[in-house]
This record gives sequence, C-alpha cells and structure tokens, in this order.
Amino acid sequence: METKRTLFLIEVAIFTALALVLDVIPFLSFKVWAQGGSVSFAMIPIFIVAFRWGVKGGLLSGFLYGILQIAIGEAWIMHPAQGALDYPVAFTVLGLAGLFAPAVQAAIKRGNTGRFIGFVAIGVLIGIILRFVAHYLAGVIFFESLIDGMNIWMYSLVYNGSYLLPSFIINVVAVSLLFYKRPKLIVSGK
Amino acid sequence: MNKLILGRYFPGNSVLHQLDPRAKLMAALYFIGLLFYVENGQGYLYLFIFTLMMMRLSRVALMTYIRGVKPLIWLILFATCLRVLFTGGGTVYFNMGPFIISSFGLLTGIYTFSRFVMIIFVSTIVTLTTKPIDLTDAISFLLHPLKYVKIPVEDFVLMLTIALRFIPNLLDETQKVMDAQRARGTVFGEGNLLQQMKKLVPIILPLFASSLNRAEAMADVMEVKGYQSGKKRSSFRQLSWSRRDSLCLMGMVVLTLGLHVLNEVNVLLLIASIY
Repeated sequence: METKRTLFLIEVAIFTALALVLDVIPFLSFKVWAQGGSVSFAMIPIFIVAFRWGVKGGLLSGFLYGILQIAIGEAWIMHPAQGALDYPVAFTVLGLAGLFAPAVQAAIKRGNTGRFIGFVAIGVLIGIILRFVAHYLAGVIFFESLIDGMNIWMYSLVYNGSYLLPSFIINVVAVSLLFYKRPKLIVSGK
Repeated sequence: MNKLILGRYFPGNSVLHQLDPRAKLMAALYFIGLLFYVENGQGYLYLFIFTLMMMRLSRVALMTYIRGVKPLIWLILFATCLRVLFTGGGTVYFNMGPFIISSFGLLTGIYTFSRFVMIIFVSTIVTLTTKPIDLTDAISFLLHPLKYVKIPVEDFVLMLTIALRFIPNLLDETQKVMDAQRARGTVFGEGNLLQQMKKLVPIILPLFASSLNRAEAMADVMEVKGYQSGKKRSSFRQLSWSRRDSLCLMGMVVLTLGLHVLNEVNVLLLIASIY
C-alpha cells in the first residue's frame, strides 16, 4: 500500500519535471506569443499522468507544474488574481482529463483503438477547455484592470485561443500516438 | 542550455542574497500588492526609487533586469497604449472616434507602465537572488496553512523538490536522445506541424520509459530508507530566520506608512506652503 503512494508521488514529480523540460527545449515548442502563449508539448506528461493515475494524479501534476514555473522564475505575474489563474489554476484543471482514465484504460485493455482514442480526445478536450477558461478569465482580469469598457473579452479570446486550439490538436494526436505505440505507458503501478 | 537549469539565479553574496527566502518572498508579494494601492504620481516615484535601491542592493547588473523586461515589453506597451488611448479627462490633445489622447490619459499610461516594470523588477530581484530550491522552501512555508484543510503539504513539497532536482537530469537526457536522433538524420525545427510531431515521438517515448524506470528505482530506494508519506521529517537544509529578516518585513510596514502619507498629502504643495 505504502509503496504505491511513494511511487505515485515520485512518478508525478518526475513527469512534471519532464513537462517543464519539454517546454524549455528549443525546437520542441513553438512560441506563438513572445510572452508565454506557446504551443508546446508540456501538457503531454500531465495528460499521461492523468490517464495513468486518474484525476488525483492529474490535478496534482498540473498544480505542481504551475508552482514549478513560478519557482524557477518562468512565470509572468502582473496581477495577483491573474497570477493565480494563469499558473496554478490553469494547469491544475488539465488534470480533470483523468476523469476518463478508467474508460481509456478499459478500452486499451480490450484493444479497442477507436474507442480509446475517442476517450483520450474527450479527456484532453475537457482539460484544455478548462485551461482556456482559466487563461481567458486571467486575461480579462488583467486587461480589466487597465481599460474600462474595451472589448477585452474578444481580445482575451483571440489571444488564448490562438495557441490553445493548436495545442489541443497536438495533444490529442501525441497522447493517442504514445499510448498506441506503447500501451504499457498507461498501466500504473497499482 | 545550462542557463535554463539554474533558473535565473545569479550567485552572489549581497544582503538580498542572504535574506531568508521566506522573508524575501513575502516582502515581494506584499510589495506587488502595494503597487495597487498607489494613488498618485509621487507614490509611484517613491516606490520606483525603492525598487531601484533594492536592485542596487542585489549587486546584479542593471542590464540583467532590463533583459528581464524585454520579452514582455510589447505586452506592456500594448497595455499602456490602450490605457492612454481610452482614458479621457484633463486637457484633450487629440480626439478621433473612440480614441482620445488627454493629459489624464498620458498620466495613467505612465502609471501603468511603471507599475508593470516595477512588478517585473521586483519579481526578478527575488528570482535572481534566491536559488530555486530555497524558493521552493519558501513557497511550501506559505502553503502551510493548507494543511488545515487536509492537503498533504509535505508530500507536495517533496514532489516539488524532486521535480526541481530532476530537471537538469532530464534536460541532459533529452539532449542525448535528440542528439541520437540527429545522428540518424533527423532535422528538428523543419517541416510542417504534423511532420515535426512525428519526429517527436521517438524522443518522447524513450524519455517517458526512462522516467518511469527512474521513478520506480527512486521509490524503491526511498522505501528501503524508511520513507513514509505523512510521517514527520526533518530537513537537510534548514532555513533560519534572523533579525535581518524581521527588519525586512518591518521595512515593508514603514514603506506602507510612507506610501499612505503620500497618498494623502501632496508633497510639492507641502513644501511650497512651508516656504
């Protein structure tokens, strides 16, 4: 019992570190905006943890990733609420993809490829939509503090959508591909 | 690549380097909060002088700070322009459709700009003078209250430390795998998105596999050494709170009082009335 917990903690930690590594290595990420908004593969390890360990692992990994970015000074915080939403909250919600972990695992066990890719896609979609909401609100709060009555809603929508939509496609393809090539990846040490 | 490993820490021995990371982090967060309390130009000037003094104290070249602002400069300028163009009041210099350039707008623009720059400067001071690992300790200290809502803060801190510890290793490993793929003729950063992603799979798969092995080995070792989550542990690196740190927090209180006075009293008028 205890072994599982320690393994869980360490696995989540190492995968989160991997997320950060994938984000900073050149060629592996495409910066859409100079400050932050990048289409990178950083979310893949978080999704993998979510599908391996379920919601709890996913949420933890995402939260850890958000805090990690602050700890190494990668984060851009301009407003307290924006900082909280843009980093801890935005990445934590990615973990909710883990809601579909049981379904994905069952589909893989039965070798039903179409079904499993479908569930991966839904999980990733939910995670990314929620992340989008968090960034979106953060953007609104950020610009609300600057301008009154401007079309900030639209601006935040375009800005965040511009990199999260491609991110969604990349992540669905990448996560599905990885699990497809190596189904063992999803069987956690339970 | 080595630059990334260490975060943005700048080794040194200044007063700020020696401060307890908890004090530094709390003071910096507080200062950023304080920026939203400023009501007039003299207040901004006052805080700006304070920020410059802190930057001087950190003994890090000014250029390093300016480089920190660079990646964000367009966002800041954009925000500032919005502020300028959409704030009316005072003398209007220019008016076209919804856009107004007024004295009041220009002033708010300057305020906005300096607030952003100060936020970046102050957070840069913290990350330049604090090792990521110390910053982690400070963050975990601030997260402590979460323990009362049954969140296992210690486990979380352990994970944060492990993650930080493994970033350099993982970077090395990624580099190695990428080099191996390069040796086989893969060219990175070419082709369309889909092609680039295909190149990614042979990099990520070995990385994931080795990470899993690593995690397993490490969990075994920790078990053998008697690690149990939820048990009370002592730590190898002890943070020590000294008088300097209390003084730092007290300095924040004094700073706030000063700002409060500046919010209420117009210094120029005061000086004029004395003479």
